[in-house]
Amino acid sequence: MSPRTTLLAAGELAAWWAGFALLWLVLISTVDTLERVIGAAAAALGALAARSARRAVSGP
Amino acid sequence: MADAVIVVALLLVAASATVAVVTRDPVRQALVLAVLGVVLAVLFTVLQAPDVGLSQLAVGSALTPLLLMLTVRKVRRRGQEKGRGR
Amino acid sequence: MNGWTLAATVGLAGGLGTALWGVATGPLRRRVVAQNLSTALACPGLLLLSQAYGRPSYVDLGLVLALLGPVGTLVFARLLADELAEDPPRAWGPTWAVAGLGAATVIALCVATGPSRAMVKLLVIGALLIGGNVIASRALSGGFRGVRRG
Repeated sequence: MSPRTTLLAAGELAAWWAGFALLWLVLISTVDTLERVIGAAAAALGALAARSARRAVSGP
Repeated sequence: MADAVIVVALLLVAASATVAVVTRDPVRQALVLAVLGVVLAVLFTVLQAPDVGLSQLAVGSALTPLLLMLTVRKVRRRGQEKGRGR
Repeated sequence: MNGWTLAATVGLAGGLGTALWGVATGPLRRRVVAQNLSTALACPGLLLLSQAYGRPSYVDLGLVLALLGPVGTLVFARLLADELAEDPPRAWGPTWAVAGLGAATVIALCVATGPSRAMVKLLVIGALLIGGNVIASRALSGGFRGVRRG
């Protein structure tokens, strides 16, 4: 795994994470610290799942 | 007058349930059942039970038709195999 | 009874009544289109009801329906692929009409809500509703033949 592919993977994960975290913040009713923490964790899980799904569909 | 929407939802449920009973072909029945699931969710919402409506939507709009269609498909395939074997 | 309740009543009665009539009669190609449009018509009705009752949390029902309605239609499109390939449904007129109705409802609700997070949520639901509806319609009319046996 070269530095370039590692950087690409990290960038893709960060992009997915940002999208999911933003979606979470839009869909909840009240924004507080607990919601932010849970949203960040759920978005991280979602980013991992989304990246593996994208790789399964369109190749690495 | 505010009860009009409840009356409408009840009438829709009654009509779609009757159609689901009257329809004979299981495939078409599954289509009517999907509509019945959505209408039931609307009825629950109108009666101020959105939590029940949410679970009804999750089960009724996709899961029940999927189970029915898979069953119909399996039964038909088994019938074809039996017909070929005889 | 305010205007939102009236709009929801008329929309649900007219839209779901028509969809029920379409799904109860006629050939299979008309029935699947009516089933698809029933979810696309019920979702704006639920959003209007949420505004009518003054309860923003009821919007979640519309969100779930906008997500799961097209999933249900895709189930039918996949499992009825052989029957529909012989007699494919072509219903772009009703599809775009219902999509326009959904867009009009979402825009009216956005105007009533004002710029806030709730408005963004409504816009997300509207995008999901119209996008899912169009994708489901395309799958029904055989637009994704390539993945039929996938």
